[in-house]
Amino acid sequence: MSAASRPEDAAARRWRPPSAAIAILFAALVGGVLVFASGANPFDAYAQIFLGALAFDNWPNTLNWATPLVGMTLVAAIPLRGGMVNLGGDGQLVIGALVAAIIPVYLPGPGPLVAIAALGAAAIAAGLYAALAAWGETRHGVPMLISSLLLSYPAVGVASYIVRFPLRDATTGLPQTALVPEGARLMNLSGPLNIGLLIIASITLLVLFVDRRTVAGYELRMRGINRRFAGYGGVRLDAQAMRVMFVSGAIAGLVGAIIVLGSQFRFIDDALLTPSYTWSGLMAALLANGEPAGAILAGLFFAALQTGGFAMQREIAVPRVLTMVLQSIVILFLAMRHGAGKATR
Amino acid sequence: MAGAAVPELEAVGIVKRYGALIANDHVDLVVARGEIHGIMGENGAGKSTLMSILYGLQKPDEGRVLLRGAQVHFRSAVDAIAEGMGMVHQAFKLFNSFSVWENIVYGAEPRRGAFIDRRAARRNVAELSERHRLGVDPDAIVGRLSVGVRQRVEILKALYRDARLLILDEPTAVLTPLERDGLFAVMRHLAGEGRTILFVTHKLHEVMAITDRVTVLRDGRVTEQVKTSETDARAIVRAMTGRSVNLTVAKGPARLGATLLEAIDLTISAAGGKPLVDNVALRVRAGEIVGLAGVAGNGQSELVEALVGLRPLDGGKVRVGGVDVSGADVATRRAAGIAYIPEDRASVGSALPASAADNLAMSFHRAFPLARRGLIDASAIAARARALIARFGVKITSESAPVGSLSGGNLQKVVVARELSHEAPALIAEQPTRGVDVGAIEFIHAELIAERDAGRAILLVSSELSEILALSDRILVMYEGRILADLLRERADEETLGLLMAGRAPEAA
Repeated sequence: MSAASRPEDAAARRWRPPSAAIAILFAALVGGVLVFASGANPFDAYAQIFLGALAFDNWPNTLNWATPLVGMTLVAAIPLRGGMVNLGGDGQLVIGALVAAIIPVYLPGPGPLVAIAALGAAAIAAGLYAALAAWGETRHGVPMLISSLLLSYPAVGVASYIVRFPLRDATTGLPQTALVPEGARLMNLSGPLNIGLLIIASITLLVLFVDRRTVAGYELRMRGINRRFAGYGGVRLDAQAMRVMFVSGAIAGLVGAIIVLGSQFRFIDDALLTPSYTWSGLMAALLANGEPAGAILAGLFFAALQTGGFAMQREIAVPRVLTMVLQSIVILFLAMRHGAGKATR
Repeated sequence: MAGAAVPELEAVGIVKRYGALIANDHVDLVVARGEIHGIMGENGAGKSTLMSILYGLQKPDEGRVLLRGAQVHFRSAVDAIAEGMGMVHQAFKLFNSFSVWENIVYGAEPRRGAFIDRRAARRNVAELSERHRLGVDPDAIVGRLSVGVRQRVEILKALYRDARLLILDEPTAVLTPLERDGLFAVMRHLAGEGRTILFVTHKLHEVMAITDRVTVLRDGRVTEQVKTSETDARAIVRAMTGRSVNLTVAKGPARLGATLLEAIDLTISAAGGKPLVDNVALRVRAGEIVGLAGVAGNGQSELVEALVGLRPLDGGKVRVGGVDVSGADVATRRAAGIAYIPEDRASVGSALPASAADNLAMSFHRAFPLARRGLIDASAIAARARALIARFGVKITSESAPVGSLSGGNLQKVVVARELSHEAPALIAEQPTRGVDVGAIEFIHAELIAERDAGRAILLVSSELSEILALSDRILVMYEGRILADLLRERADEETLGLLMAGRAPEAA
């Protein structure tokens, strides 16, 4: 029994300090050195980030930025909880946005109903597209890590074509669709905030509930810990992968639809991908290894960091790319401590 | 001659650890010049580790290796090759798109100036092949050759570098019987030339047929080192699989009921080889324990995976309680009445970082009382876990502690507790006591007997003969994918089973 029991004892003894906190601290140090090297005062920079994100007046901005970012965090975190990786968030986001931009222009009817139809159709279209990657893995053995990413490019490309040619708004010279009628736009709450914030907030709560309280959440968690154990216990892994990817893609589609119906009111080529919500969301999900509460917190943290980055750039002219550097260092540091394989096992 | 007294190769007190696992535990090995020396042991006994150490692929944590009396410190296989060693790996290391001669001279090409002397290289290879009667065409493209011929190319590669000591790592695993006989002829010829051969295998009859001496490993230790002519198959099987603990389990006569678990002509093919499971038929009736004996690696794991639904069938049927579940997935088969204690409790049977409660809930988690309309009832899961922990005497701080902290025996009790609590008509117990302490062994055995007496059909898969003999009412012996024998317990003893496990039919039927 001695030899057999030891590895398990060792696994239990290897308790780790909260590595996310250490990683953030370390990133702040490296970032500070970078700022200092570029000739600015690191303390000023961090103060501006902090105020820019969290001063009371700036809350709406931060929340507005957090809405898509936390949404995309869920997109990455849900599959990751089960040990799967969805790298196709960009494509799913764009599909959702395009569908949501087209439906209100062509579907007659009372505004709110049209908006609901657009949101639903966006979610379903993007969800199906994401499930395609799972289908490729379960039926044809194409790793989802690869297929989800590769499927993203044609989606982005075709959307770009559609807004440049067939559905281009001829009244402007830009690659964008016609404006969504006012009735179908998402209700405004205050300042830049619209009802999309509440939609994402309720989805967030729903995800937490499913993760902790439902059979589906239990099965996904077990799969993430040990896929073979889940399969041995009777979890239908293939169907589960399809479902999980559908949900993940559907949330990405909703995020796209919320951006279109809530703030841009049309599909503008490239406008959705420039802020790279997908990748920030993926990083937030990785930071928490797919655990939804942690991922949501990390997503909020990144949203605050990025909003603060705008303030810093405005006030003391330190480029906001610094905040992306901070984000990356946090992730790199965590990957070093845990080993790259651990997060995706 | 002084050379006759000094062993060709000697290993003294070799220790190799991987984390907490001891792969080689003070292994001693003495190999005389010109002998064919068998290295026996089950999968995971430490054979491959020992060979990599001898060949310089890995460094031992302790111990010395002596070649022709002088201690060597190989930094890599290159050093070993320079000292006249050669190794043929299980997975060949050949360029498939190159010709035979290119593969053989690679890294040691005869040169003319800056160029390879192709003609000399070709000629050398052809001569070598002829001298050792290997019959390999130097111009053939390796990728088009059969597995047996490719293996000869590997042997030629070693001979081209004038290897005086050859390590063959499970060379027969991929060969047909005819190719195997050819290999044996080559081995005898090489030994006759004074070359030394280390022959790694877990097939008993091969060791008996070809080796001069044999060293048996079990759990990283040498359990036997004898002249082949002075031992027999039974002694080697015992050295490979035996366990010193004396197993006695009290049990009454079996009260047989209906057939609850059945395989009909079950076949699992392997890519380009003989099937892993070959037309196996088995029936397990209510109230009996059927023992499936066999040296590990003869198709038992694949058969079990096919029974529980983790591996698709290539032919045949599986019936549970009379219902055909051949195409059904794991969940359906579990619902039809199979519980399964898997061989590997850590990587299949449990989720180590998860709590005991979560582990014990698996495959009960969809139905009442643990779940209702898709919602998990956490308190029901905890209550159930507490009850099972108490009933099975699992030593754990609480049901919310991760099972990764448990000892092997306690973790196995968690797995056994979960599977037995299904009260499923059919139970498949695969190596149910491997690597657990004596107390847990006795406990698990008693539970299995209790299940049998409660009218379950139990298929016990074990490579421990003592366990098979102690628990079974009927014993099947599996060898190279087939069921070689079906014996009542009264008809079986260690000797008969040992011979059958080695692939020989009993002499007197």
